[in-house]
Amino acid sequence: MSQNAMEANATETEPQVGSSQDDDVMVEVRDLRTYYEGEGLFGGTPVKAVDGVSFDIKRGETLGLVGESGCGKSTLGRTLIQLESATGGEIRFDGTDITTLSGADLKKWRRNAQMVFQDPDSSLNDRMTIGEIVREPLDVHDWKTPRERRQHVKELLDTVGLQREHYYRYPHQFSGGQRQRIGIARTLTLEPEFIVLDEPVSALDVSVQAEVINLLEDLQEEFGLTYLFIAHDLSVVRHICDRVAVMYLGNIMEIGPTEELFANPANPYTHSLLSAIPEPDPSAHKDRITLHGTPPSPRFPPDGCPFSTRCPARIRPPEYENLDNDLWVQLDTLREVLRERDRAEKSVTDRIRELLGKEPRFGTIEEIYGELFDEHDVPADVQEILDETADLARDEGEIAALDRLGEEFGSVCEGYDPDTGGENEDTDDPVAPEYYTVSPTGRRSFCHRHDPSAEYAEPDQVLDERH
Amino acid sequence: MSMNEFDDKTLRERIADNPQPALAWLAGALVLVALELGRLASGIVQVGETTRFALGGIASLPGLVEESVASSLGEIAGLVAFGLAALVLLGIAAILVKWLLIPWTLVDRLGIEASTGVKDIIERVIVTGLLVVAAALVVLTPVGGVLEMAVSAFTRGVEWVSSLPTITSRELISNEGYQLPDGSWEGTFLGLSPAVAWALRVAVVYAYALVWLAWLWRGYETFRAHYREADWTPRDDSINRFRNHYWGMFGLIVVIMFLVMALWAPAVSPATAEANLYQPYEHEFEYYGDDGVETISHGDANFDSRSQGGDINVGIMSYDDYDRFHPFGTNTDGKDLFTFLAYGAQVSLVIGLLATVLMAVIATALALITAYYKGVTDLVTIVASDSIISLPRFLLVLLLSVLFMQANHPVAEIYDGGLLLALIFAGTGWPLLWRSVRGPALQVSEQEWIDAAKSYGQSPAATMRKHMAPYIAGYMLIYASLSLGGVIIGVAALSFLGFGVQAPTPEWGRAVYEGQSLIPTSSWHIATLPGILVVLLVTGFNALGDGIRDAIDPQSEASDGAAGAAGGGG
Repeated sequence: MSQNAMEANATETEPQVGSSQDDDVMVEVRDLRTYYEGEGLFGGTPVKAVDGVSFDIKRGETLGLVGESGCGKSTLGRTLIQLESATGGEIRFDGTDITTLSGADLKKWRRNAQMVFQDPDSSLNDRMTIGEIVREPLDVHDWKTPRERRQHVKELLDTVGLQREHYYRYPHQFSGGQRQRIGIARTLTLEPEFIVLDEPVSALDVSVQAEVINLLEDLQEEFGLTYLFIAHDLSVVRHICDRVAVMYLGNIMEIGPTEELFANPANPYTHSLLSAIPEPDPSAHKDRITLHGTPPSPRFPPDGCPFSTRCPARIRPPEYENLDNDLWVQLDTLREVLRERDRAEKSVTDRIRELLGKEPRFGTIEEIYGELFDEHDVPADVQEILDETADLARDEGEIAALDRLGEEFGSVCEGYDPDTGGENEDTDDPVAPEYYTVSPTGRRSFCHRHDPSAEYAEPDQVLDERH
Repeated sequence: MSMNEFDDKTLRERIADNPQPALAWLAGALVLVALELGRLASGIVQVGETTRFALGGIASLPGLVEESVASSLGEIAGLVAFGLAALVLLGIAAILVKWLLIPWTLVDRLGIEASTGVKDIIERVIVTGLLVVAAALVVLTPVGGVLEMAVSAFTRGVEWVSSLPTITSRELISNEGYQLPDGSWEGTFLGLSPAVAWALRVAVVYAYALVWLAWLWRGYETFRAHYREADWTPRDDSINRFRNHYWGMFGLIVVIMFLVMALWAPAVSPATAEANLYQPYEHEFEYYGDDGVETISHGDANFDSRSQGGDINVGIMSYDDYDRFHPFGTNTDGKDLFTFLAYGAQVSLVIGLLATVLMAVIATALALITAYYKGVTDLVTIVASDSIISLPRFLLVLLLSVLFMQANHPVAEIYDGGLLLALIFAGTGWPLLWRSVRGPALQVSEQEWIDAAKSYGQSPAATMRKHMAPYIAGYMLIYASLSLGGVIIGVAALSFLGFGVQAPTPEWGRAVYEGQSLIPTSSWHIATLPGILVVLLVTGFNALGDGIRDAIDPQSEASDGAAGAAGGGG
């Protein structure tokens, strides 16, 4: 990124100052959290599907929401139209906090916000005719007379590119694209202002995708709709969205105008996500950033920055600045293995094996070390710490070993305070990154590297160096 | 069909536009009704009497409450209790009245502004208030008397209609008469022998029923061809599949045969129930004896027509000494077995259907609620149903029925214990049905159209009814038809053990019980024929269930009875 971070006047709870105040904001989301309770009767650790998200949606715009599977983007969409109830935070819709609505007020409000679902096979009840399906919202809200309702539905079928006589057909007589049109017609019946499109085209053929996308754009123009477009197809997002929010593990990593974000991403996660877009030109040379490991469980998100466990541009402690890149990868893998081992529940047989002094199911630390570091030159100081870690893992368990590794190799990204360096043993007090405004258009990125008070290199520089 | 596809027309308007096919069908239906008007009217009278009895019982509840409270807490408390009990009953009635009779909301008409929850309560209060006024008018003013007169006039009218001759009446095709020494028959229809006359009457009954079925089918086809808006619905395919499902068709035919036998029991039995089963000594008939035409009561005649093995036997398709024809022979005390079985079919079907419908309603409601809300509701229901399932069902049924009967509980007296049995079977049987449909219900509840319904504010009850119930109704139909057989066998088994339905009300199981020791003798028919009927009926219901399942869900055709749990919702 060529541009340096703008002044960091944005805080987590009041984002987008300077970007949205003069625009007509329709939806304001502040520190929204949606947790799913544990499976057991008595709860357990909740899954943090959406974990503190703040953004605005302006009237008439299309906000894209991208991210890999399981990052919480669908949950966010469902929470916005109150299909899930928020655990905390607020959603202000034209000034009203809708998370507090219930009963008749909620029902009344629901007319304003509708949703197009991902799977056209599952979103239409096969036992009802198209007419009944599209008319149901009108029946629910007791809209005018039945005759006017039927008339309205037929007009809508026309609007979304179907025929009026389809009123008496059944859903399975239609193709996927047509079914999605029916779903769209249903969301339009109540004339909402805001529509959540939850991957509306990902279940469709590519040729049909374009038709449906064009239909959505036409409808937006005709009815002045505001869209939240959830997708993982980045090219579609680039085509239809005005602004894009990139989500990872329940957090928004970067949000800003589409073209700018695509052309010049600020956040390391956006970088790696964009580098995954396939290039149609086979001769084009492209540096793909491969992320190592799998996303952490949303039940146990990492301390500090959510992306810290896999970040290709993670801040490294200055004393290890010269360490080989490949070795860093192995170190990261080691920490992930230890985390996994810590979390994996030991069965009774495992415990017995341990008591009998036999090899546990997961293999010994030596085996892991052999696999990870045998083919690498490990400098003496690093080797020393690794040996220490191995002892800790054997004697005191994975947590102690992880703490030791964190002290040594961790940085502000993992919540280790840079001021105290490796001496901060208390990981209960992690330093989460903040949102930094990274361009004059109000684009914000969730990364320590933009912190103007510290002298970190910008992510794109680091990525250039490391890859 | 396609001609009106673009128009917004209700069914009534569509019929008004093209009345000819509908009128033709209606005319045929009216002719069919006219042929059996008398029997229909007597059916209505019976239903009316039962309703009146039930209403009277419910209306006496506040009085009972008042009595018991007044005896312990004093008269004023008694009066208060009377008022409260009456109010509670009227409140329940108000819910029913609102649901059945008032399609629009009074609150909206009156322009009362309130939130939805409060509106519902206000609505209920208003309807209850109207009912209180109506009840007070009936009880305290001459309006009650006028109403009473109107009802009795109406009843008399219906009773007069019920005395009209019908095509299947015993009087028209009589099988009761006596044989003169020259071999000719006196008193029977056209002088035919009682056997032929009886067979003719049974044939007429079944022909009439079949014509009705054919006419109803024709009505459906007329509707499909002329009045239905959609030119095709998924049900068309289901019906086509069922028509080619021979095992299912066999089941349907068997079930229809039994239904007709139960509905027309007075017509297909060689003797009337009163004369044969309930008051044999108060009904007399003529026969040609040694001294010419003589008169004897059924009871006395039965003494000579007993079937007890050896020489004392009136077997199948035979006459007794008094020229009475017994198609299935007689039972141990000389009563006609076919009459016993025909009326027994009524009892079995009423108990079986009542129990199954109750079971299915409970199971469906619970399946919908537990699948929609999941979590704690589901868990509580699982615990409750597992507790019931863990008890041996038949022992539990036996225990409960003995308990209620020994205690002379009022419920045990209705229908000679039939209602009690139905309630017991329903109470112990719903967990099995609920478990069978819980899987499909959970599956449907995960569909996105449930979310969609929620997203535009559809109420949970309506979502369950419109978007979930249709998908488990098919499964419920199948499992209910399977468990119906179980209930019928269960009731028969209870009667066989000497509990269950008490004499003189006929019940198949009791015939098996009475005849079991005579199986190796010449009177083998007493236990064998009812046994075969039970097997046939239960097989029929199972076959029908199979057929319906395959018709509704084409994917399940290859798999076995467990298909319900595995099959998809759609």
